Amino acid sequence: MNGSKFSPLFPKQTRRAFLRSSSALIALPFMESFGAKRFEYAAPLKGATPPTRMVFLGFGWGVTKESWYPDLNTTGSHYELPRGLRGLQRHKDDITIIQNLTNQFSNEAHWGSTFYLTGANRYAEPGQSFYNSISVDQVAAETLGKETRFTSIQLGCDNAEGSGHGPGLSMSWNRQGKPIAGLDTPVAAYHRLFSDSNTPLEEQQAMLRQKRSVLDTVLENAKTMNHGLSKIDNDKLDEYFQSIREIEVRLSKEEKWLDVPKVQPTDPLEEPQGDIEGFEEVKLMYDIMVAAMQVDATRVISYRQPVDTFIRSLGATITGHNMSHYTNGSRLSVSEMRDEKQTQLFAYLIDKLKATQESDGSSLFDNISLSYGSNIESIHYLKNCPTIITGGGAGVKHGRHLVMEDPKTPLCNLWLSLLQGSGIQADSHGDSNGVIEELFV
Amino acid sequence: MKLIRHIPLLVFLCLGTGLYAVEAPEAILPEKHFEFLNAYCLKCHDSVEEEGGVNLEDLSFNLDSIETAELWQKALNVMNSGEMPPEDEDQPEAEPKTDFLADLSEQLVLARKILSDSGGVIAMRRLNRREYENTIEDLLGVTINAAELPKDASTGSFDTVGASLFFSSDQFEQYLKIARRALTVALAAPETAEPQRYRQQSEDAINKMVQNRYAKLLDGKTRGEQWKVSGKSPTEFGFIDEARVKFEAGLFERDGVGYEHYLTLPENNTGAVFFATWNGAMTDSITLPKSAPPGEYIIRARVGGFESAPLHRRFLEIGTVESGARPGELAILDYRKISGSYDQPQIVEFPITVTPSSSRKIGVRERQHNNRDAARSILRKARDRDVPLEDPALWIDWLEWEGPINVQKRTAFQNRIFGNDPVEPGNDKYVRKTIQRFSRQAFRAQESSPSFLDKLVSLYRDRREAGDSFRDALIEPLAVVLASPAFLYLKEPQPGDQQRELNDLELAVRLSYFLWSRPPDAELYKVARNGHLKTPAELKRQTDRMLEDPKAWEFMSGFTSQWLHMDRLDFFQFNYEWYPEFDDSAKSAARNEIYHTVRTLLNENLSIGNLLKSDFVVINDLLADYYGIEGVDGHQFRKVKVPKGLPRGGLLGTAAVLAMGSDGERSSPVERGAWVMRKLLHNPPPPAPANVPQLSRLADEMLPARELQVAHMEEPQCAQCHRNIDPIGYGLENFDAAGKWRSLERIVSNHKKVEDAWAPIDPSGSLPNKTTFRDYYELRDQVAEYEGDFARGLTEALIEYGLGRPYGFTDYDLAEEIIQQTESENFTARSFVHALVQSKPFKQK
Repeated sequence: MNGSKFSPLFPKQTRRAFLRSSSALIALPFMESFGAKRFEYAAPLKGATPPTRMVFLGFGWGVTKESWYPDLNTTGSHYELPRGLRGLQRHKDDITIIQNLTNQFSNEAHWGSTFYLTGANRYAEPGQSFYNSISVDQVAAETLGKETRFTSIQLGCDNAEGSGHGPGLSMSWNRQGKPIAGLDTPVAAYHRLFSDSNTPLEEQQAMLRQKRSVLDTVLENAKTMNHGLSKIDNDKLDEYFQSIREIEVRLSKEEKWLDVPKVQPTDPLEEPQGDIEGFEEVKLMYDIMVAAMQVDATRVISYRQPVDTFIRSLGATITGHNMSHYTNGSRLSVSEMRDEKQTQLFAYLIDKLKATQESDGSSLFDNISLSYGSNIESIHYLKNCPTIITGGGAGVKHGRHLVMEDPKTPLCNLWLSLLQGSGIQADSHGDSNGVIEELFV
Repeated sequence: MKLIRHIPLLVFLCLGTGLYAVEAPEAILPEKHFEFLNAYCLKCHDSVEEEGGVNLEDLSFNLDSIETAELWQKALNVMNSGEMPPEDEDQPEAEPKTDFLADLSEQLVLARKILSDSGGVIAMRRLNRREYENTIEDLLGVTINAAELPKDASTGSFDTVGASLFFSSDQFEQYLKIARRALTVALAAPETAEPQRYRQQSEDAINKMVQNRYAKLLDGKTRGEQWKVSGKSPTEFGFIDEARVKFEAGLFERDGVGYEHYLTLPENNTGAVFFATWNGAMTDSITLPKSAPPGEYIIRARVGGFESAPLHRRFLEIGTVESGARPGELAILDYRKISGSYDQPQIVEFPITVTPSSSRKIGVRERQHNNRDAARSILRKARDRDVPLEDPALWIDWLEWEGPINVQKRTAFQNRIFGNDPVEPGNDKYVRKTIQRFSRQAFRAQESSPSFLDKLVSLYRDRREAGDSFRDALIEPLAVVLASPAFLYLKEPQPGDQQRELNDLELAVRLSYFLWSRPPDAELYKVARNGHLKTPAELKRQTDRMLEDPKAWEFMSGFTSQWLHMDRLDFFQFNYEWYPEFDDSAKSAARNEIYHTVRTLLNENLSIGNLLKSDFVVINDLLADYYGIEGVDGHQFRKVKVPKGLPRGGLLGTAAVLAMGSDGERSSPVERGAWVMRKLLHNPPPPAPANVPQLSRLADEMLPARELQVAHMEEPQCAQCHRNIDPIGYGLENFDAAGKWRSLERIVSNHKKVEDAWAPIDPSGSLPNKTTFRDYYELRDQVAEYEGDFARGLTEALIEYGLGRPYGFTDYDLAEEIIQQTESENFTARSFVHALVQSKPFKQK
């Protein structure tokens, strides 16, 4: 393998020295400082066009309708941010709020994420009571994820149902419409993205070989299972085959990356300790996301955020579900506080993206397409999905409040627009019936 | 295989006749509603105008395709949300609109059911988390925690429904990881399982901690006082500034005062009393060292109670201390009532299981809400009365652990896979034999292909070459067996399209996963191997035997919790100030009451009508205190006659069901009424529709729950269902959110300056058929008349759980057959299980 070719570039001592010298936020000096040649998996060289990223944030339970949505009559750039979004004031020129987007098939008032990125109809498959299709982030990952260590990353939280996300293991669903598991704590996310194994390279290669033999062995077993199964059972077993194939693909990628240590972010992240819940958890996940993109570990991220622990960390004693059924009184004030605090964190994320420089002098913000929202509008309304997009990655002209003329414009039109804007070949997504031209003019 | 060949024809014939027996169900919107459409919709949405591309004139009233259902769903949605008819058009009267909406939503539910019907197919199923955990335990004698695996499907069906049990690549890796850990324990040399015992004197552990903290606080306070009179800079006394002096004085006031009091108590010289402090509930804990392997342990404590404390506090709770838990919070495992006193303490024992991944720090404390804030509120209340700490309820002398015990299971595993061979290696032939034995057990008596075994042996060899010991090198191949599809899926081949009868072995597996959620035991395998299982008499004998086995608890709890939607019990945290007694232990007891009731019905073969109304309850000491029933001593659940005048007996009077119908603060007549319709009357209301405008006209007013619901009747969208739901719930208003009897309802004020109010309760109401009742007792009597409907609901749930496919119209014949059979046996609990097990669909793929 080419292991020996590159590994001397990263002797332990040098890396540590590098880490020590890089506590400030500076442009990625990583490869340059070692005088390395660009090789196919590395972060791009100075001056090269930085890659496009796509990030999708989902926040489960809907927002406080009255204080989150801007006035419908004030579209374009002349609009005011309502109380729930006021924390975004400093980024007002760099965000777009879109109203009247909806997933037409959504009928489950407690499922804020299940179909959010897919637009699927749960009853689409005769003889089945649940069906889903690929989520937009996974479509993006098929193109954007080729060159990074992680094709895509799914972040999540514990007790997603209590946070109004509905069934699923993360926001993401694969080509077969099956759920993709997420990293549900900052600790898990941190280790997946940044912790290197201390095992020597040869041993790691041996482990990879062993993993391959393991896959080979279970496939042998699966093949004998295959005989005589009915069509439906075969489909079930195919999920197994599919999973093994996915691991194989991942292993091949892992193998390519085996001799490349995980790049540490220039703005060092402390290893998260113990259970961090709610507000701090989201903030930390944002830090991890930015760091992951800064070192180009992945270009596609979805994040299913906590709500239940989020409001509890703000001092609320009610559940997220209770909050979502707000009426005047304490439930309403919790709901409003939740909006404000979430907005504050979202603004913080944008700050970070803007402050993170890319190798060509642009910022991470310039190269990302970021969306923020939920399938649930408010209480148990599913019509006008709360939607904010930001970032320069998809070529959207920001600073506006767009109200779609058709009150039932497919949310998938937005996903399709962002895909196309990010240079991804796609003719449709979910139930899309076109792109949203207004975004780009 | 030979035996089976001629059978499919037979099955086909039977199925054929079945088809004639029942008319295919149809979802049809009653023709009368055409008038309604004509009056309010067709002006724009007829075949000429087709406004918005919607043509309701030509849309079939027969909801027989996904497309038609989808269009009607849209029509329902826009009417529910109030979009249609548009504001400036004629609006329908409330009543016809209500009727139209009610019929349309009902027919849509029906249509969804028809369109998603399984057609009698049972999809191959993966072991769900419970089954996986149990199966590993059976095989290896090691208990694992499957909560690490991704959650099984939660799309509304049972966790045994194969079609909803997905598989993902992450899952595969988790399976391997869990199996490796469990095998490391299972394969360890026998001497690692020598039991040990360790006792810790509570005063040693706790007093030192209290003394240290107190000394620190006192020092801060003393230095502060010295500074005050000195006239010098605070820094000379070790304070950064004046604010810090104040802060430390405050700390002493908050914590030090309590500790000071604590240290003066004579009881703490020989043990420790439990207190609620600002830093959470005081907990005595003990940590199992690494040298103690995962397995079963006994935790013992010598404890006494103070008679001055209320009954509900005189319980000891035990739990694990999880990483990241706040001080005083435990993951509760169990509880025990303490009848001993400080002068005559008692020794309580908790059997616990330590899994390879569980926390090894075990804590005990006084029973209370598992929440630091709750402890703070107890302290605050004591301070309000000028008491340094709330009076204690329990005193502990010592805490000890002993184990592992019952290691026979582990030894049995090693005996099984190594057989009579010497345990140490071993050429490849020997290893191959070992692996073969193991996979035969893991694959539920199925043989593996030689090439699969070859690959497993070479995995072993690779590990040996890498330097692993014989035992360690076995871990990988055996873990791979436990991540293989033949282990993870319950395979029932079906070549061709026709259904076929299961063979004896397959039937044994299906039966044991139905009743035990784990593989067959030796006897069941034996009967299957001898080819006797399929005879009705033997099948019945085995079913009875299995129901009487403790393993059937999996069925009683696993089925019942999903059937009755008991996950709702975990939806809400209960308010600790209003419901101090309804803590985690009470919740657990309430949940177990339901399972133990089902168990009693099965064990004594009583009628399921007892779930609607009975003269007994199945409770333990904690619940007896909770319900106010005297003379029930001991932790175990047992049948107790309901004393005269108490409202218990039947599901409607259980704390669990009542608590499920609340949000942890207020009772919810809607949730309770809907649950009764779904689970007891077999008349489920359609799911709550999205986009219906929320009624907040009365939300800000301080009204009893009943009066708040009145708003539901004002809008047709709401009235269509709530006119049936809410009036049932009113009959249960005499129970508070935590299921205790009340005659006044507390109405909590949303405003700080307004006091809470108390309103008298009106428990009268009606059932959907408009029969009225005056109070809870009459409601319960009337619900008891619905035994047949209740039986049908149970039957449908049982079919879904047992066959592993969503109950659909295909299963209508089967349900009918089961109900006829069970009715003739007075709806006894076992008759349901027998009727399903003896039915044709249960025995065929």
